[in-house]
Amino acid sequence: MGGSLGKPIILTVLIYLFLKFIVPNIPGSAPLPSSLIFLYIMLTTTGIVIFATLSGESKDAFWGPIQRFLTGEKIGALQTARYAVLILFPLLVGWQTYGSTAQSDAPPAENRTIHPAPPGEYTGLSNPVAKTPDNIMQGKGFYAAFCSPCHGGNFDGKGPASRGFNPPPANFSDPTTIAMLQESYLFWRIKKGGVGLPIEGMPWKSAMPRWEVELPDEWIWKIIMGEYDGAHQSPRTWE
Amino acid sequence: MTRGMRQRIQWGSAVTGIGALLFFAGTTIGLAQESVAVRATMVKGGLPVDDPNAAAWNGATQAQFPLSPQVHWQNRIQEATVKDLKVRALHDGTQLAVLLEYADPTEDPDDAAALEFMVGDKKAHFAHGQPMAQVEGGPVNIWFWKNKENKAVDMNAKGFGTLKAQAHQDVKAKGVYANGTWKVVFFRSLANEHVDEDVQVKPGEFINIAFAVWDGKKDASGELREKGSQKAVSSWWYFRAEAPPDYSAYLYAAMAVGLALGFQFVLIRKLKKGKSA
Repeated sequence: MGGSLGKPIILTVLIYLFLKFIVPNIPGSAPLPSSLIFLYIMLTTTGIVIFATLSGESKDAFWGPIQRFLTGEKIGALQTARYAVLILFPLLVGWQTYGSTAQSDAPPAENRTIHPAPPGEYTGLSNPVAKTPDNIMQGKGFYAAFCSPCHGGNFDGKGPASRGFNPPPANFSDPTTIAMLQESYLFWRIKKGGVGLPIEGMPWKSAMPRWEVELPDEWIWKIIMGEYDGAHQSPRTWE
Repeated sequence: MTRGMRQRIQWGSAVTGIGALLFFAGTTIGLAQESVAVRATMVKGGLPVDDPNAAAWNGATQAQFPLSPQVHWQNRIQEATVKDLKVRALHDGTQLAVLLEYADPTEDPDDAAALEFMVGDKKAHFAHGQPMAQVEGGPVNIWFWKNKENKAVDMNAKGFGTLKAQAHQDVKAKGVYANGTWKVVFFRSLANEHVDEDVQVKPGEFINIAFAVWDGKKDASGELREKGSQKAVSSWWYFRAEAPPDYSAYLYAAMAVGLALGFQFVLIRKLKKGKSA
């Protein structure tokens, strides 16, 4: 039975291992939720079954070994494996049922949107402050005074005041933060702070101050220039 | 054996094999959680409500949370004395006791600590329930303890500057200082009738909790280093009072095992009959 069934089993196992262990290590990727892995395995299995049953011959070649294995007829040394499957399958069903019905001790999953859409009036604003070395230098000075305690002197989100906050302060040197955003977006986030986020951004958790209360707009624009320069990033543009 | 019958049996056997495979793939592996939640262990008998050193606390799971200086609002500070907080909690189905433990080099009359909870279903900002621009927030319930009085004050706030002690004081607290460490126990009933002001703890449900600590030490000029909004804080974490034992999951699992065994039995019997036909 090895020939016709071995390949589909190996293929399915390889795809599972790829999704589970390789994909999370691809730069810019993240661990896949088990529900998504389940879906991909389901699609793979469906594809295999369709492929294996395209013709009468291939169908018999595919199902025949499964039937023989389950009935235990002429399978020789595989008899032990058959008993193992017949014992393990009900146990797995029971385990899965227990897992889905037992009280969970895990906190609720949070789907926080890290970069939610800004209000319309903040989209497309351009920085009115001239990008001169003096202004950038001044922006870095404001950054050091107001932002670096959380976002860090190295723009890496690891300032001395960052450790107690959940979510942690943004790491500007990470290419998935300010490099993906326009200056107008940062202007909105700095001006309105954590409490200015829409519901999908979970504003009740953010420690980001509402800097419009304390800083003039011009300073905020200069801080934005200082942030991009210090973190060696460029704002996203549409051109 | 007819062609249709054989096909049905073939599909059935395939489902068995594929099902086993998918169960492997779909099984969620429970990873060990960092301290993201305080878990109040359920105990029988009395709670150690006024004894932070009671042996009963050893049976409670300890969570640890980092603290930051309060930087969200004006009158912020850049550095706070207390950097980490250990938290344990116990409940008996009626009462709740929460133990805070943290290092503080000196015992001062103005040393203080607080727990914060959201009230009701509305989300509240962790900084005293600050108003949010796009979300209608709710109030927070603050359990505040200060060494000077060594008792709790049950308070509410909905934004900085709105902190107010409640007319009814439902929380008790006691702090004990030894060897550079504060241990403070807060104690209240899990639920009460003040649903618009007090957090209601339902065993089994996750709610939000945040912490604040003030070092009451004075500087050379006699000014308190930490006071008011100048304090060590955390943002929201989770809190859950353990639910009473529920064995229904074992019953459902046993039923599932029985059904799977029955399915296997019928399937193999059919397959064997089909072959002999």
